[in-house]
Amino acid sequence: MMKLKVGKELHEVSPHIEINRSTKVIMQDVVIAMMPALLGAVFFFGINSLILVLTAVTTCVLSEYIWQRSRKEQLTVSDWSAVVTGILIAFNVPSTTPIWAVMVASIFAIIIVKQFFGGIGSNFANPALMGRALLIFLWPSSISNYVTTFTSGTDAISSATVLGLYKSGSDFSQFSKWDMFIGNIPGSLGETSALLLLIGFAYLCYRRVVNLAATGAYISTVLLITFIFAKDGLFKGDILTNLLSGGLILGACFMMTDYASVAPRVKVILAVIAGLITAGIRLWGMLPEGVSYGILIANCLSGLIEAIIRPHIYGVRLKKQKDRT
Amino acid sequence: MRHYFHGGIHPSDGTDKLLSNQKPIRIYNPKTVEISMKQSPGSVCEAIVKMGDRVSKGDLIGTPKSFGGANIHAGISGTVIDIKKHPDSSYKNVEIIVIESDDYNDNNEDAIYSARNYEERIIDLSKYTKDIIIAKMKDGGLTGLGGAGFPSHIKYETKEPIEYILINAAECEPYLTCDHMLMMEHGYAIVNGILLFIKASGSKKAIICLEDNKQDVAKVLESIIADKELPIEIKILPTRYPQGGERQLVEAVLGMEVPAGKLPASIGVIINNVGTAKALADIVLGDEPLISRVVTVTGKVKEQGNFLEPIGTRYSELIELAGGYTTTKSRLIGGGPMTGSVLQTGGNHEELTGSVLKISSGLIVLEDTPKDESPCIRCGECERVCPAGLAPFKIDFAAIEDDIKLCDKLYATECISCGSCSYVCPAKRELAYRITEAKTEIYRTRWQ
Repeated sequence: MMKLKVGKELHEVSPHIEINRSTKVIMQDVVIAMMPALLGAVFFFGINSLILVLTAVTTCVLSEYIWQRSRKEQLTVSDWSAVVTGILIAFNVPSTTPIWAVMVASIFAIIIVKQFFGGIGSNFANPALMGRALLIFLWPSSISNYVTTFTSGTDAISSATVLGLYKSGSDFSQFSKWDMFIGNIPGSLGETSALLLLIGFAYLCYRRVVNLAATGAYISTVLLITFIFAKDGLFKGDILTNLLSGGLILGACFMMTDYASVAPRVKVILAVIAGLITAGIRLWGMLPEGVSYGILIANCLSGLIEAIIRPHIYGVRLKKQKDRT
Repeated sequence: MRHYFHGGIHPSDGTDKLLSNQKPIRIYNPKTVEISMKQSPGSVCEAIVKMGDRVSKGDLIGTPKSFGGANIHAGISGTVIDIKKHPDSSYKNVEIIVIESDDYNDNNEDAIYSARNYEERIIDLSKYTKDIIIAKMKDGGLTGLGGAGFPSHIKYETKEPIEYILINAAECEPYLTCDHMLMMEHGYAIVNGILLFIKASGSKKAIICLEDNKQDVAKVLESIIADKELPIEIKILPTRYPQGGERQLVEAVLGMEVPAGKLPASIGVIINNVGTAKALADIVLGDEPLISRVVTVTGKVKEQGNFLEPIGTRYSELIELAGGYTTTKSRLIGGGPMTGSVLQTGGNHEELTGSVLKISSGLIVLEDTPKDESPCIRCGECERVCPAGLAPFKIDFAAIEDDIKLCDKLYATECISCGSCSYVCPAKRELAYRITEAKTEIYRTRWQ
């Protein structure tokens, strides 16, 4: 039985200097990075977007607080991770989503997906995406009513997403590539504007919060596969539409980089797996979009991949060689 | 050839070293010294003098009681006025010999070192054989001055053929500048010491390993070895912690790994700290055993500096020399901030106990900030920076669950206790501490 120091005694142990960064700072950085996309959502889809985001954030934070308070656990609600989850939940639904649906998704994400499994860091999958998945399973109609943006006409009218039109072979020429880039297309709140998401992502890179390799691996896998196996024939995929029109950039920049798997090499492998699944769903699945399932399945596989990928431990391989000879 | 080791961190922006890296070494002669019979964590010695004995500078006063110990000598001439017993965690009582100087004068110009020829030119070493040098290392109580304090003669008594000597001059810990200044001021003694190491090991070549934040040192050393066809090479490595870890240095400089559980000698390499090279020159060429060293006193003190003083000088006197603490919430670290230990928290430096050991490289005063652990968020930073390639957060979980078998399976034994994982952890978890404890526990259960 080891006697480990706890609490105040840990004061004495080395190292005595620490990096100028904490969980809270990281989470605040992610929130800051999502602000441009949030403003864009309000601009494109109206004040309803803001209401949904605030509802989701409030519900997430409150659920976490009440849960930890009632179970007398260490209060971690001040680390801002519930805020990130809340914003991501709202970002993953269209602006027409009823408020109760967002609240249900938030409670499910925080209590079941996060706290049941041990709270921050112990969740097996991205809570926000699990919240969205719950809505798709139970009340698919609540989050399937995509509308056009304010800027594209006077009133918001129901419209399929560009990816949906692309998949069904319909004409989507009313949406230019520029509209897709700046976010002037129907879609979930936070996913439409590649430009604003990338601004946020650039900030995260500047703050060294994210693993650029995982983001790159995910995006390039999706684009490569959808380009090669396009329905019009091999090597005829529409790269820009695939990149800009769905949730790919939101997923790659803010959810693939979520901390569910650890080793850098494992992260890249998981990103490739997520990319394959996303592309597979986009090409051959029933749904037009596969970002959330791709990432969720990759999340669930992280334990397996970590067990397969052997880390390189200093001197151990050499020792085994020497022992054999 | 690559100049990188796996993992590693940049624990500072370099400004901490600026506090003291241009401060010439100041010589200090204390009136009394308190020489501990435990000079490094793994060894203990026995006093061979009695109270009232008169000793001269350089006299043998302590002999090793256990493997890993080295002779201890009197740092000043004087009378043994007390032999204190100090309770210790791993040995029952550690003796501390207190010597009071009888010919004390506080004229610091009367230097510990008078000018010596090996400080000015390369010495002809043909009369020194391998055996003579190793015997002198042993008699002179030479231990590594980098931090572990392992007796040097044991390293050189190896049966393995030695190809390279690596001179560890990386000084990768933040704040410390004692090696930096030693190299600036005692270049010739160091080079002579390195040549002695080469003779003692029978190796072909020595490589002085510097980090690129010490370009001024590189110039000084290059000018010394230039055109002399010495078997010494200077290698400048990109600054990164823990460059000065033995295994990391071998990886960075030679591109090889040391097999797990083996000493670097098993692949033909011996690593010595640059300060040890200087001390060897003093022992062999200056006929003076290891009785003094340079200590960096820095951080939140009035006047940061590097001090050369006898082993056994009280810490409180060194802090006094540096003008005392400039903060009321002080945390005094002995050694570097990454691996050192806390000597005092808060309070006044006059209440400070303890004295300079052979392994004391620095006294660093930091602001005592509270540390609070929060749950691991699996960001993976610890795994990315671990120079041993471990997954620190996993071992941490296993250690908390007291699952020693799992710790062993996750190679906790390969941890070098550098502290990089704890440093980068955004959840502020004390990973290095618990992994080191687990490592100790694994070895303890293996021996049973």
